[in-house]
Parts: sequence; structure tokens; C-alpha cells
Amino acid sequence: MNLFGLAPLLLILPLIGVFFNTVVGRRLVAADAPSGEKWSGWFATAMSGSAFIVAVLIFFSLPTVDYHAQTVVLWDWFNMPSTDFHVQWAMYFDTLSATMLLVVTGVGSLIHIYAIGYMHGDKDFARFFTYLNLFLFFMLILVTGNSYLMLFVGWEGVGLCSFLLIGFWYDKPNGVGILNGDAARKAFVANRVGDFAMIMAMSLTFWVFKTLEFEGVIETALHMFEEGGKAAPISFGMFTAEFQVVLSAITVLFLIGATGKSAQIPLFIWLPDAMAGPTPVSALIHAATMVTSGIYLITRSNVLFEIVRETGFQMAGIISVPDLVAVVGACTAVYAGLIAFTQFDVKKVLAYSTVSQLGFMIAAVGMGAYVAGMFHLITHAFFKALLFMGSGSIIHGMEHGHHHLHDHGHGGHGDDHHDDHHDDHHEDDFDPQDMRTMGGLWKKMPVTFGVYVIGSLALAGIFPFAGFWSKDEILAHAQVNEFAIFSFINIMLTIGAFCTAFYMTRQIKMVFFGEPRHEAAVHASESNRLMTRPLVFLAVLSVFGGFLNTPNFSEPEGYGSDYASEEKYEESGDHSETEAILAAGGSKTTFTLALEHWLEHSIQSFELTEEGVVHMPHTPIVLQYNVAVTSSIIAIGAILIAWFLVFRGYPMKPEDDDPLQAAPVIGTVWAFFQGLPLDSLYMNGWVKRVFLPLGEISNLIDWDFWHNFVHERLIRDTFVTSADFFSKVLDPLGVDGAVNGVGKSLRNFANGLRSTQTGNVGNYALGLFLGVAAVIAYFVFAA
Amino acid sequence: MAVTIEWYIALSTILFTLGALGVLLRRNAIIIFMSVELMLNSANLLLVAFAHHLGDATGQVLVFFVMTVAAAEVAVGLALIVAIFQSKKSIDIGDVNLLRG
Repeated sequence: MNLFGLAPLLLILPLIGVFFNTVVGRRLVAADAPSGEKWSGWFATAMSGSAFIVAVLIFFSLPTVDYHAQTVVLWDWFNMPSTDFHVQWAMYFDTLSATMLLVVTGVGSLIHIYAIGYMHGDKDFARFFTYLNLFLFFMLILVTGNSYLMLFVGWEGVGLCSFLLIGFWYDKPNGVGILNGDAARKAFVANRVGDFAMIMAMSLTFWVFKTLEFEGVIETALHMFEEGGKAAPISFGMFTAEFQVVLSAITVLFLIGATGKSAQIPLFIWLPDAMAGPTPVSALIHAATMVTSGIYLITRSNVLFEIVRETGFQMAGIISVPDLVAVVGACTAVYAGLIAFTQFDVKKVLAYSTVSQLGFMIAAVGMGAYVAGMFHLITHAFFKALLFMGSGSIIHGMEHGHHHLHDHGHGGHGDDHHDDHHDDHHEDDFDPQDMRTMGGLWKKMPVTFGVYVIGSLALAGIFPFAGFWSKDEILAHAQVNEFAIFSFINIMLTIGAFCTAFYMTRQIKMVFFGEPRHEAAVHASESNRLMTRPLVFLAVLSVFGGFLNTPNFSEPEGYGSDYASEEKYEESGDHSETEAILAAGGSKTTFTLALEHWLEHSIQSFELTEEGVVHMPHTPIVLQYNVAVTSSIIAIGAILIAWFLVFRGYPMKPEDDDPLQAAPVIGTVWAFFQGLPLDSLYMNGWVKRVFLPLGEISNLIDWDFWHNFVHERLIRDTFVTSADFFSKVLDPLGVDGAVNGVGKSLRNFANGLRSTQTGNVGNYALGLFLGVAAVIAYFVFAA
Repeated sequence: MAVTIEWYIALSTILFTLGALGVLLRRNAIIIFMSVELMLNSANLLLVAFAHHLGDATGQVLVFFVMTVAAAEVAVGLALIVAIFQSKKSIDIGDVNLLRG
């Protein structure tokens, strides 16, 4: 069953959706909102769902071609023989991209369905689905591109869609006072920094490897690595650099690119503000798919990162690039986890939680645990999409309750204009996303409550929910490896795991328990089935998603450490030997390490021996009972501490301090993190100290030098002076003088001749005689 | 004293000179006209004289042509003079200077 010919449909279907909603859908919604919304929304969903079906077919086609990566060429793009620069518009399918395809289209389709319910009644309903399908199109380019340039096309495209969707309600202010348009611009600018690094990385990649295609880059990189010190240094014209130095530069630039798109320190500041967009967007783009591109990028480039690790090159003699990746991820995990404590906006908590979880994934890929990173990416896509859509359902319910209240208010105070005015004013102040106005919602919104708790438990890493398995695999990697830096990462990630359980408990307690703290919460109601059905579906995935990659529960027979280093793993396609050993030694359950085996075909494990680079089988993950128990204790402990000690004071009024804030020492830390230290550092340190003064200078240059001096004095004045010379000197004296002079001199000459024309016949007769005489004289004397 | 060809040449030269001076010096259009005839006839006289002297009839034939053309010229010329007189009431050529530049 080879269905790779269907691959172009992955891109064509979303594009059809884009065109349908741009051209037809918009008019249908404008003409008749209820039926138009059905057409517009369901058409977009159908396109997304069909793409999912194609993805499934491709997923099942991969085993039939023995897991060999397949390239589907659509057309040639760049072809410059002089520089050997060839880029094709091609799609690349291996187990890694197939996995991403399933996540993107699967979660994407569920969110499409949810969005039909969520966006109901919005005046720009069709525009929303246009963007959503366009996002899907670019995301599919990103995950299926066969070269870094194709990946970058998708990378930029999803950035554009992210910008468009954050600013979707560009005319409405966001909850925290930053305008939606500003939030969109902030995201765009922060991402540009990362994109700049991406372009640099691609240029270097091409310079070193003479290609941008993943396969070619990996092959050449392994070959150069094999040559080791014998390889000639890479020439940059004026200077040369060692292979490992250049490769470190490339990978560090990839890391910077990933910090932009995947919201890591120091560029994560855009993601929390990105929550200004509609909630389905937060779920799809800013939690489940787009923000994981950085993890995908690093996983895709795993060979480059592993070579850097193997060469042992340390930047500035301090830290190697993969370790830096892990440290950045681990620090982000803790930092964002701490900020999540201090947020009152229901979506902001989830936003910082996303940043924190992305930190976990980045830390995982930094430690070389690519499969664990991808595993967490997948499970996170399930439960974070679930939580975001759940929060959307809560917001919807609160708004509904508030409208109900408002209508009721009108009925009660119909005659009293002063009161009406007061009500309107009150509505402006009401923020349906502020958790302090909620409370007791579990009775009002039972379905949302149920799935939200499941999502939170999965996120917190409680057995047996999805998050437990994936987070545990990352922590296990941090523990079993012997590198010193991994202990630091282990500690940081454990703190991060504690934070996760803690802030989710705080959120659930604030939102769903206690007494309603606002009239809107009293009247809140459950969302419709269009919104809750996808939630239930994702809840099921959040419960069982962890079994995608269940570890071995015991060390398999014949799987000693000596096997891993000695067995040669010649061809990436020939896995029968390993699989036999795995089947014999590993658990018989087919679920066991399914994802590990699946991704084994894309993520190469290798070692440099005397014979050159040798491909290795993956070391199977064995459940680390101590890690599992420790992390479970920490997570449950965090929940219990949060529930019974810290937040027993809830419910609280909107004007009350958070219990953490009121505590003597913790309050200071709380206030520090609520002040969003990195954001204010950017604002005070960068924007106010550097950016605005630079703006003054650039204004000076632009206005005083460039405009006033160059434009006014140099260009304009020179022009005016020379124009004056031409118009006042050269033209009247030179050109006019020449033309008129010719006329005048002819006139004078003619005036002289005039006097000979007397009109006197006698004179003419005399002339005649003289003429005849002259002729005769000529003949007589000369001839 | 025999009348030789030299006599005829001298007479015709005198006649031509008189005619030419008449054309150049007189202001009456009719006098000028008569002076022109005088020059024509001096030329005729010379033609006849040389025809006789050389025994060749060509010159005498040519005289007939000249006389014919002169008669036609007189008819045109006198008509012009009449026309000029009718408009100018004068045949003085000093009054006819319309072509002065």
C-alpha cells in the first residue's frame, strides 16, 4: 500500500479551504449567518479532516516501504548551477514527519470542530476559518519539508498566521491592557529575532554542506565527523574554522531559532500575550502545534546536535551546545512555572504552563532524549489543547452568565436610566477570563469540569495519565546519564514538575470550587455540544496517550550495556536483528515503546568507532522506578500542599490578595514573578534604555542628517542652483541667443538687399544690359 | 565710294546705341517702346547686311521671324501700356514701382 502519491493533497486540501472561505464563505456568512457559518466552518473542518485521513494513509504506508524515508517532489524551486544551489519544493515523509502530521491534522481537526461552536456569532467567522486553514497549510509544509529552506517556508508561514490570529480581534482590548494588535506585533517581532538566527543557520549549513536537504546534510555531516581531525578546516574566505566550531555555531543558531518559535528564555515573552487571540487559536497554534516547531527542528537536526556532543567542543570552554539547549529548556521550565503561580487570567496560567512544558521538551532534546521530547510533544498536544479549549468553554460560560445577568438587569431597572448606565459601565469592567470572578463552576459546567480535571492530572503527571509517562521519560533521561550537567537539569525539571502540579491545583480550585464570586459565575452555563464533544475526545487521548510509549518495566534479557556498543547496525532499513532481540527480550505488549521503535527509523543513534561512524540501536527506556515514584510523590505532594495548605483560603474576592502574596517571604518572590521580570527587563532595560535612545539617534540621523542635510541641503539645493543656472543663464543667453541671432542676422542681410529692389524699370533694364554685356564680354574675351 | 559692310556695321551700331540709351534714359513708356524697336531693327539691318555680304539667305529669313515676333511684342506691349495708363493716368515708368522692395 504505497499512497505517497496522495501527499500533495495534504497541501492542496487546506488551500482549497482557504480559497473557499475567502471567496465564498465570507459572502455566505454575510448573507445568512446561521447557514453561512455552518458552510464556512464545516467546509474548513472537512478540509482539515480530509488532510487527517491522508496523514493516516501515509502513516500506514510507511511500513510498506520498510520505513525508508520517502520524498515526493512537487516542483523545482531554486536551481543555480553556479553556486550548486538546488532546492526542490518537495515533501519528505519519514516516521518523524508522519508523527507530526498526525498530531497537527488530528488535533487541528478537533479544534476546527470546537471553533465552529466557539466562534459562533462572530462577524468575521469566515476570516477565522480562512486563517485556520492557512495555518494548517503552512504547518504541513513545515513538518513535511525535505530541506531546511522548505521548513523555513512553513516556519515563516505559521508565524504569519500566528500574527494574524493573535490580532484577530484587533479592535478589542486585551484583558491586561495590551491591545490585541500590540500583542500580535510583539509576537511577530520576538519571532523575527529567532528567524534571523534561522537564516544565519541555513546560510552556514549551505556553506558547509553544500545542500539544505535533510538527508544530504546528515550524510555529509556524518562523513565529515568520520574524518574527524583529518578533515580540512572550513574556509570562509578570510579565515577558516574547525568543523566542530562551525557545527556548534549552526546548532546554537538553531537553538536561538527554537527559542523564538518555541517560546524559550529569552524570547518567550510573546507567547503569554499571544493569548489575546481567540481560544481555539491558543489551543491549536500556541499550545499544540506551532510552538512545538522548535522541538521538531532540533529533533530533525538530531544528528548535528549529537555530532557536536560527540566532538566535545565547548563554547568559550564552558558549555557544549546540546547542554546549553538542555539548560535553556530546564531554566524556562522552572521560570515559566513560577510565573504561572502569579497569574489571575485563566488563559495566562495555561500560557505560562505551555512555556514551561516546552521547556521540558527542549530540555529533553538537549539531553539527546529526542524520542522523549517528541513523546511529551504529542501528549502535551493532547492535554494542553484540552485545557485551552476547556478554558475557552469556561470563558464562554462566564460570558453567557454575564449576558444573562445583563438582560435580567435591564428587565429589573427598565425605567431607571441612571441604573442602566451604571450597568453598562459595569459590563466594561467585567473580565470573563479573571479567575477571581469565577468559583463553584463545577456544578454549572460538569462536562468542562470533568475534562479539565483530566487534563490537569495529565499535565501534572499523575499516574496513569499521558503526562506521567512522557514527563517521566524525560526525568529518567536526566537521571540515568552520567554527565554532571544532567543532575542540574534533573533538579530543575523536578522543580518544574512541582510547579506544574501546584499551579494547576490553584487554577482548578479558583475556577471550579468554592462559592461563585461574581453574579456571572452564578448564571454561567455549560457550552454546547460542538464545543464539549472534542473536549471529551481529547480527554480520552489525554488518559490513554501515554501508552504510546510505555517503557519496559524491567531490564530485558540480553540487553546489557555491552550489546549497545558492540552490535553494528549497518543499514537503517535492516532492523530485523534488533527487532528480534527487542521482541525476545522486551515486553510482549505491542504498546511497549511503540513510539520509540517508530521514531527509530528517523532519529539516528550512532557512535564513532575505529571503523567509522556506526549506527546504533536505541537503548530502550526502562522504567526508572525511583524516578517514577519520586515524581509521583512530588506531583501529588504539590497538589495536596496547594489544596489543603496554601489555597484553603479560597474563595476570595477580586480585590483580595492571593494567599501566596500575603505570605511574608513568599510574597516578595510572588510579587517579583508577577511583575514578569523578563518582560520588564525588556521594557526597562532594552526598550527604554536602548531602543528608544537608539530611536532618538536614528531620528537624528533620519531627520537632521538624512532629511535636512542630505535631502534638503545637498540634493535639493544643488538641484535648485543648477536649475537656476540653466533657466536663468544658459537658456536665455545660450539657446535663445543662438536661435534669435540667426534670425536677426538674416533679417539685417535681407534689409541690405532690399534697397537694390527699387521697382524702377530703368534700373532693371540697366541690369539687363550690363548682364548681357558681361555675357558677351565673357564669350568675346575669355572663350 | 563704295558702300562696304563696315558702313552697315557702323550704322547698325549707332542705331543700337541710340535704342539702348533711349530705353535706359527715357521715362515715357512709348518712347522706351520705340527705342526697343530701334534696337530690334538695328539687329535686323545687320542680319540683312551680312546675308548679302556672305551670299547666304539664312540671315534674311531670320529677319522675317524677328519682325513677326516684334509685331507680336508691340501688340502685347501697347496693350500693357494702355492698361497701365487706365489705372495710373500716366505712362511715366517712374510711377510704376509696385515691385519696390
